[in-house]
Amino acid sequence: MSFMKCALLSNVNVESIARQIERHEVHIAQGFGAWTQELADPASATLSIRPSSIFLVIDGTELLRGQNGLQPMLAELDEQLAWIERAAELSPGIKFFVSTIDVPARTLRAVKEERLERRLEEHWQKGIAGASASRANVYVFDLKQLVEEFGRSRFYSNKRWYLGGLRFSTSGERLIAGELERILDAQMVARKKCLLLDLDNTLWGGVIGEDGIDGIQLSETGAGARYRDFQLRIRELGQMGVILGIVSKNNEADALEVFETHEHMVLKKDDFAAMKINWSPKAENIAALAQDLDLGTDSIVFIDDNPLEREAVKNALPEVTVPDFPADTCELSSFLERVYKECFFSIESTEEDRKRTKTYLANAKRAAERTTASSIDEFLDGLRTRIFLTRVRDGDFGRAAQLTQKTNQFNLTTRRYTEQELRVLQSTPGASVYIASVADKYGDNGKVVVGILRQEAPDTVELDTFLMSCRVLGRFIEDQILDHLVAELRHDGFSKLRVRFKPTRKNAPARAFVERLQGGQLVSSDTESGEQTWEFDISKASPITKAAHAELLTKQELLAEVAS
Amino acid sequence: MVEKLIEIVAGTLRVPPSTLTPETGPGDLHAWDSLAQINIVSEIEAEFGVSIPIEQVAEIRHIRDFLPYLETMS
Repeated sequence: MSFMKCALLSNVNVESIARQIERHEVHIAQGFGAWTQELADPASATLSIRPSSIFLVIDGTELLRGQNGLQPMLAELDEQLAWIERAAELSPGIKFFVSTIDVPARTLRAVKEERLERRLEEHWQKGIAGASASRANVYVFDLKQLVEEFGRSRFYSNKRWYLGGLRFSTSGERLIAGELERILDAQMVARKKCLLLDLDNTLWGGVIGEDGIDGIQLSETGAGARYRDFQLRIRELGQMGVILGIVSKNNEADALEVFETHEHMVLKKDDFAAMKINWSPKAENIAALAQDLDLGTDSIVFIDDNPLEREAVKNALPEVTVPDFPADTCELSSFLERVYKECFFSIESTEEDRKRTKTYLANAKRAAERTTASSIDEFLDGLRTRIFLTRVRDGDFGRAAQLTQKTNQFNLTTRRYTEQELRVLQSTPGASVYIASVADKYGDNGKVVVGILRQEAPDTVELDTFLMSCRVLGRFIEDQILDHLVAELRHDGFSKLRVRFKPTRKNAPARAFVERLQGGQLVSSDTESGEQTWEFDISKASPITKAAHAELLTKQELLAEVAS
Repeated sequence: MVEKLIEIVAGTLRVPPSTLTPETGPGDLHAWDSLAQINIVSEIEAEFGVSIPIEQVAEIRHIRDFLPYLETMS
């Protein structure tokens, strides 16, 4: 795994926090009072290292030192917020993680006096939440939440403050460092995509086949509420874009009856992209389900209360993540929170993520239709697919980077890019980053294709990256897009296209694509890595042989369509 | 007790425990700077539930100098 370069700014000494983060490169400013200057000056040490992220960990007490009276203090907060917003505006390629503030009571006072601290904390929180909502590169780092969960008296240390300007206790620092690391890791590591759940003693208490629908534990209050609360949390995960599925040994009719008729079921059948309710071994069901949904088994997390089932799945499918089930079911909710943090944590959920389960359901419908259509061509034509291809613009860099990070199957070179790298690439002469979205009669699949072209010689362009999410695989959309790009290149006077292919354990679909291109010359081939470079003469013919089944629109055509 | 101390100091400095002895101090290791000194004091206070007065933090020049404070443990 490579690392992220980030900066940590604060109004207290955070050097000790920075030292704890070993997996990433963390820069801190010299002198910790100067965080606003660091942000305001484009030539400052912090901005000139070009970090991908800047963390602002702000101590509420220091922020308001020497200020008195509510209005002046609110004005002080507004001024600092304005500096942060300005910095975020000037550096759109840097992600700013701005902390909430914790303001301990500043003076001894009588019970009747108003607690101004809460109003100050809230004012700041609203300010950064507003900035986060209006700017794509501003995020909230919830320091106040860390303080509250751990307890204020243990989070701070007077001795460390007086000795070295260190506001936080070593435990407090560890919590902050852990949170920073999690945010940085989330930008590098492929997160899991799918959560599979058992039913009996997992989504409800008891065994449906034995206890019956009136005997299982699931209720609004009381003991059965542990399972209801667990389900609420699972639904939240689904809303964040995690694909949900069921793998349970049961009579399907018994289990479905609970989904359809139990008044306290939070999760409904439609919340799940797939259900395998039968008596086959769970590992078989998981493998089959992964295939149905076009997912790698290494992107699956499996939750089951039965240790034998967990063991069997771990043995048969060691790449599936199988967390231990809590011994005390009162901890189910916090258990799921931990699973979220460890497996599914993401700094943002994009529109595509939120729609994902819906998309997978629609895919299942498409697959059903495929079996009824008399030929594959007829089926594909009947989908009424539309492809929208554009150069990547401002709002799309995040999604494009996410696709390069996550796509494994149809990916010719598996080069991972960060958002910032793509921005730089797009503004490099001779390079172009494309993104395409795909819609059909069942719905919008969102932005699912990324292509990067780089000019290598006056007449030669190389396909640096070509990838597509597996949810639209098998429809020759990739062929049609490359065909279009080839036509554009020819129009622009290029005569040669180089296509690179780097084999991985997972990208067989990409190999199939390269193999069906015609007229290529193999110009280099690495026997060790298997990496190949093919060159195509595009001055007269296209390497694409497959017939088009979709309507491909570019930005100009879209505009013309809207106008007419 | 000394082993435990060495383990804590090694963990804080991110060095192997085998590189430390009771005689090791801030002058011997590059990693043991003033910030590390504060962190070591904090970790030892937390681990053993003792308090080392602020005036005496600078007096600690060897790992063995922590031992008298541990004797005050209940």
